Amino acid sequence: MSLTMDCVAKLKILLLGESGVGKSSIILAFTKGDYQAQFPATIGVDYNHKIMDVNGLKVKLGIWDTAGQERYRTLTTSFYREAHGAILVYDVSEPKTLAKLNEWVEELQVYTTNKNIVCLVVGNKIDKDRAVPREHGQAFAQKHRMLFIESSAKTQEGIHLAFEELTQKIIETPGLWEKDTSASNIRVTEEEAREQGGSCYETTCSIK
Amino acid sequence: MNEEIDEYDIYHQDFTTVSEWEVFVARIEEVLIDWRLSKSTMVKHSVENHAKKWFTKSEEISYQGQKFTLSYNYMNCKSKPESTEESSDKSLLVEIQDGLWEATTRFMDDSDESPFPVSNWFGLKQYLMLYPNVALVEGSLIKLVMSSLNIAFANVDCGVPLFVKIREHWQHTYLGFYEDNEYKISFDTIHLKRISNQCSHLTGLVGLFKSKIASPVALDAVVVSTKFSYELKDLDAFAWGQQTQSNEFLSIDGFDVKKLIELPFGCDKNPTKSVLLNAIWPKFRECTIVESSTFSDIDPLMAPTWTLTLKMRENINFQLSELIGKVMELLDNSYLLMDTLGLSKSLGLVNPLNKITEAPITISKLVKAAMGHGRHTSEFKGPISDELLMPLLYYIFPDAVEDGTHIYPPDLKMEFKQDGNGSKLCSYVKSSPEDCLVWRLSVTAAKLHDAGGLSYLAHLWYEFIQELQYRWEMQIPVPGIAEGTPNARTCLLHQKLQLLNCCIKRTIEGNVNTTGHSSEEEFFDCSEGEGAEEQPPWDRPVGRLHRLGEATLKNGAPLYVPRTQDPAPKTEDQLEEDAELMVRLGDDAKASELRARMMSASLLSDMEAFKAANPGAELCDFVRWYSPRDWKSDDGGALGERMLLPGNPWVEAWNVARPVPASRQRRLFDETREAEQILHFLRSRTVSGVAELLLPAIIRAGALRATQEGAIGSSASVGGVDARRTFEIAVRELYEAEKEACRMLCRRKVLGGGEEGQALDAAERARVLRAAGGVLPAVARREFTLRVRDATAPQLMRAALADDITIVGAFTERIVCL
Ligand SMILES: Nc1nc2c(ncn2[C@@H]2O[C@H](COP(=O)(O)OP(=O)(O)O)[C@@H](O)[C@H]2O)c(=O)[nH]1
Ligand SMILES: [Mg+2]
Repeated sequence: MSLTMDCVAKLKILLLGESGVGKSSIILAFTKGDYQAQFPATIGVDYNHKIMDVNGLKVKLGIWDTAGQERYRTLTTSFYREAHGAILVYDVSEPKTLAKLNEWVEELQVYTTNKNIVCLVVGNKIDKDRAVPREHGQAFAQKHRMLFIESSAKTQEGIHLAFEELTQKIIETPGLWEKDTSASNIRVTEEEAREQGGSCYETTCSIK
Repeated sequence: MNEEIDEYDIYHQDFTTVSEWEVFVARIEEVLIDWRLSKSTMVKHSVENHAKKWFTKSEEISYQGQKFTLSYNYMNCKSKPESTEESSDKSLLVEIQDGLWEATTRFMDDSDESPFPVSNWFGLKQYLMLYPNVALVEGSLIKLVMSSLNIAFANVDCGVPLFVKIREHWQHTYLGFYEDNEYKISFDTIHLKRISNQCSHLTGLVGLFKSKIASPVALDAVVVSTKFSYELKDLDAFAWGQQTQSNEFLSIDGFDVKKLIELPFGCDKNPTKSVLLNAIWPKFRECTIVESSTFSDIDPLMAPTWTLTLKMRENINFQLSELIGKVMELLDNSYLLMDTLGLSKSLGLVNPLNKITEAPITISKLVKAAMGHGRHTSEFKGPISDELLMPLLYYIFPDAVEDGTHIYPPDLKMEFKQDGNGSKLCSYVKSSPEDCLVWRLSVTAAKLHDAGGLSYLAHLWYEFIQELQYRWEMQIPVPGIAEGTPNARTCLLHQKLQLLNCCIKRTIEGNVNTTGHSSEEEFFDCSEGEGAEEQPPWDRPVGRLHRLGEATLKNGAPLYVPRTQDPAPKTEDQLEEDAELMVRLGDDAKASELRARMMSASLLSDMEAFKAANPGAELCDFVRWYSPRDWKSDDGGALGERMLLPGNPWVEAWNVARPVPASRQRRLFDETREAEQILHFLRSRTVSGVAELLLPAIIRAGALRATQEGAIGSSASVGGVDARRTFEIAVRELYEAEKEACRMLCRRKVLGGGEEGQALDAAERARVLRAAGGVLPAVARREFTLRVRDATAPQLMRAALADDITIVGAFTERIVCL
């Protein structure tokens, strides 16, 4: 293990949810530690990245920001393929935004190509007056078997933890990701054919 | 050493005199430490019983120009976090000793799936193996290597038995040892091509065993297990009834397409070489049974246990694996497939700068057949005869003929299970709906390639594209493809065909609209004032779809949702390109802005359509429809704060947008260009590129076949590896499935449903004996395991005698401390 410590995994993360719930702000908070009270509405899809350390493993997160508007659905869903994780964001000061998440859950089911994509539900803007009790968000996450966390892009609360938990979970999910080197979990070993008088060698793959 | 140390020498160290041998030892130590195999650093492992599986770590080491592979082989175990206490010397030794004793319940020719037989012989759960890439035969070199290992082992205080493979590789001779403060275990192997007199029988072997044990052994203390094996060959009971498939269809007339395109499965000849009848005496004292050079008590009919083992023929051809293997080989061929037919030039593929539209367009074979002049034209003639080719093409494009024998299932859908449990064999290979056109094409291609080589494959591919070309020109959708825009969960070839169908459908729709005049809006409103200004007058709304509820514009007029252009459907390789471009732009604000601009094409198009449908509209009206959460109802409508930011791309786009209905805008999706590109893409593939397009469906069809033959689903989950690697894993899995299916078939035939290695009951013993003709042949192989627990530890010796003899031993001695 120690020999392959510095190899980097690349993970693709999606941010989904109604427009204005703070997706772009969460990404800005996470990647730059910054916050802007006024931030232009995302057009279509945007991209950011950050390198993260998980269990001594360097992981490159490619983070795809999406526009939440109805009209952008076709465009944004075409970027879902091969995502390892999705962050579903709602605004704790606006109950409708949580209800709307159902639509993205359905879309994820249709458009993701990884069967065991890991999802995290984020209740954002907890610095504001709350209109959605935490339990509602939790119940939603539980129903769909997703991770759950509350955050504020404004105060940075929960932002790092959100990405950490998601990444950790992805790393723990077998068959979802792959180290970015030839050192994969499929090992090809030169195995001796131990048949009678076998002087030939056989290559076998064992899949963890 | 020089006594007078020069002043300068203090600051210099010269390592050039370090011997190669020291480097060798140091390197072994380094690897052992790196793998954390010192007794003090080892984590206590507990082997999980249910799924024993071997894992290997390995490193290359060289010494005297000779390459070695040092490997650490261990059974899958779960590290117990609770018992983090360091594994003591004692527990490591006890584990090895217990293993030795346990090993005697198995025989030397059993397999425990580990890379080397030593673990099965000695019951080891983990061991180190130094494997010389060139056989180690020279005595002095073996000694040198052994002493290097001894030193490295002691320096590191290694906690895992260490072996080296010596002699010719086929002799399976291993020397090994394990040591702690008190005990040393030596693992020895002797292999003799001819059996010496002393070792040829039990009595002699017991004598040899006793002489090897240092401490005196009580009389009759040695416990023996014995297995005598008799090879039963060529028995009617083991005959083979498997159908083999041949490529005969190439010469017979009156083809049955179904036969032609069926994937073969299983062995082409009886895979059973022989059946071994094993007569086993699991445990007796050395004196109970006598077997010496002059006399033998051994009567197989009296043995307490009989078992059967199948011996499979080596080099059996598994038909499916062979067929797929041939396609896999194509992955290394980077020539254009059309070169195989000498067509690259005439298809305009040689010079990539040639415009694709210059490719000559020839009519599809199917059309010509329908028009009744199939073979009279002097155009390209491929290697496959029309008699063979036509039924195959009708099978792939069944809608070209009216008999409807091979029509596609009506509702082709991709199943996609969310949970990974009970997944199907090779389901990680992204494919297309079962029995869709891609499957038929791919399987047919594989069969033709198997039968006639690359030129047959190329010919089919050529005809396939000709037919696509024709369909594109005539606007006939491709059959057997799932509805809708390219589905990223299907393989690339399927996506390409979905996209081609999108192009065809859009063209058809476009034609209907321009000729039909049925829609309430004119697409080419050449009404008043021919040649007048392009834009419709401000007061005349165009391209309205419907009203947006009760909503009104800021100026009070009703707000209409415009007709809009759908975004361009794309296949995964195109999406990949888009994504790559976006990633490459980087991370700063500027890049973000560029990306926003890239993404703005459809925003602008929507804004223009909106302006056309709602004369006099403002941005806030547009936002009310488009991004309602950025719209405020204050005084008839206002923009949310983030829409008011200076330099905001929304405002910028609004300012440049002209009122143009979708029908008159530049197409976001240029179906002609797309279709031509798809056809060019398919034509210009290399051999490996075509193989890559075909393999998913070939593999999945093969997996389906294997499943029908009783293969069970896989537990493999494959993520993130490239396409080729995925294919390799899948092909390997199919191979195993095919092999296992053959074995199972043999077992059914020979063992009548019983398990290999299972003790036979009286009736079965009688049946086997009858099948053997009442008498057993001369014994083919004898095996003895001798064991005793003396004052020191368990001592073990095993011998397998056939034409040659292998004797292995594990002897423990107390290290005498002076
Ligand atoms: N108070 C508060 N405002 C936030 C927070 N996160 C985002 N916002 C604001 O909500 C608005 C929309 O945020 P944005 O990130 O553009 O949302 P997006 O459309 O989901 O990407 C912006 O004005 C942000 O400043 C938060 O945690 N607290
Ligand atoms: Mg945004």
